[in-house]
Amino acid sequence: MKLIIFAGTPGSGKTSIVKYVIEELKNNYKLFFVKFDCLKTEDDKFVAKRYKISTVKKLAGELCPDHYTALEIPKILKENQDKDIIILETAGLCLRCSPYVKEGLGINILDVTSGDPSRYGPILTDADVVAISKGDLISQAEREIFRANVLMVNKKATLIEVNGLTGEGAVDIIEAIKLSLEIKTEKLTLKHSMPSAICGYCYGNKIIDEKAVNQRYLAGKELKSLVPNLNCGRCGFKSCNEFIRAVLDKKAKKKQCPFIK
Amino acid sequence: MDKNIKKITILSGINKFGEKEKFEKIEIKKGEIIAIVGPTGAGKSQLLYDIEKLVQGDSKSKRTILANGKEASKKLRFDPKRKLIASLAQSMNFLTDISVKDFLSLHLKARGKKFDLELIKEVIEEANEITGEPILPETNLLNLSGGQSRALMISDVANVSISPVILIDEIENAGINKEKAMQILVEEGKIVLIVTHDPILAFSADKRIIIKNGGIVKVLETTLKERGIGHYFNWVGNYSLKIREKIRNGEKVKKVKLFCEPIE
Repeated sequence: MKLIIFAGTPGSGKTSIVKYVIEELKNNYKLFFVKFDCLKTEDDKFVAKRYKISTVKKLAGELCPDHYTALEIPKILKENQDKDIIILETAGLCLRCSPYVKEGLGINILDVTSGDPSRYGPILTDADVVAISKGDLISQAEREIFRANVLMVNKKATLIEVNGLTGEGAVDIIEAIKLSLEIKTEKLTLKHSMPSAICGYCYGNKIIDEKAVNQRYLAGKELKSLVPNLNCGRCGFKSCNEFIRAVLDKKAKKKQCPFIK
Repeated sequence: MDKNIKKITILSGINKFGEKEKFEKIEIKKGEIIAIVGPTGAGKSQLLYDIEKLVQGDSKSKRTILANGKEASKKLRFDPKRKLIASLAQSMNFLTDISVKDFLSLHLKARGKKFDLELIKEVIEEANEITGEPILPETNLLNLSGGQSRALMISDVANVSISPVILIDEIENAGINKEKAMQILVEEGKIVLIVTHDPILAFSADKRIIIKNGGIVKVLETTLKERGIGHYFNWVGNYSLKIREKIRNGEKVKKVKLFCEPIE
């Protein structure tokens, strides 16, 4: 089984390219497509209908979608042991996103009109393949400059020019997928640590004031030590963090969590 | 390396119905202009893909592309720095907020070359040979007109890009002297592939490759008569460029003189 992770900012052309890739691979491989997004998507249904493969959507809601993706990967692998290739499309929100695993193929779909590539973190620097999209919108010279700048921050990646409208470049991506390695271990490892935030805002504070942030942080920290951090859902919320926020916002009661005495 | 590609040979493959293409080989040499014509979806992109990848029967079309008469080595085919084809398309715009001079020096840097003021001046000078309103080194890329942008892109691709093959995807009505633009590319020793149905561009080519149903069906050598027709249309085009300048300068146009005969 292979895990192929497509990462890129919204609108970069991820889904467009993924469709061409799925179209070509589906006849010879058992595929599974999982689409991550924050609040809404219909792409999973679209892909399932058009290409007749099994798909699922996973919405992160209140959580950082990249953290959510990593949390969901073990479940995805476990439930799809019979598949040859799992295609995972991330939500790709911040320049610090780090969605790749060492045992999978990391493909960054990078919009050539997005500016200076050196602003991007692991989503670009840790990618195995950098697929540069929308090249037809800018001059040859700017494309060559962009390529050189990408190679400066990621010397090892394979650079492929792709076009989400015409499917150009999909053949090369498929070649890279075919050459990539199968997953041999049970536990996967992230290539880079996730971006973090542990502060009062994480526990739901909305008042932009140092004192308020600290107060919320301390209250949240206390609750955090009481909850099991299993995200079991028994309190009625998707994650323990969401539950903590709700309690501090007075929208839920502590006793809703069966683990708090 | 790339600069050393003096000839590209296309060995026939199959069309989308699996039928063999009706030619044995097509040779394209440095300094030649080849027009690629055919209906939309006919397979022009597949041919360009084959050339870029220097395929050896391993693409959908099953064609083989030879570089300098030989099959390309694995090293050449899969070299990540290699980009055989530089392209220019109607949809392209400059998006960087920078002066022409600084932009060209950035491009030189990206190609691993030192800052070269002489070359930069040459690129701007050649661009000005094909556009009506002159470009200055201090002009900002974002302030160039459509015609000036196209002219600068052509001169840059001719002088700064390492790719030996230039692909032009339709530059009709671009506000530039098309014949001169082709001349500049040819003088720099490029192989020019141009996807077009425009008389000026198609007839300035040495040959036309006609594509239908995913395969090459015919190769036509441009006749002397056709060249003459192309020249005439270019003259009309330049005439029209001059009128554009008058309009741009806020002048009135009192009279024009053109001669036409029925098409045969």
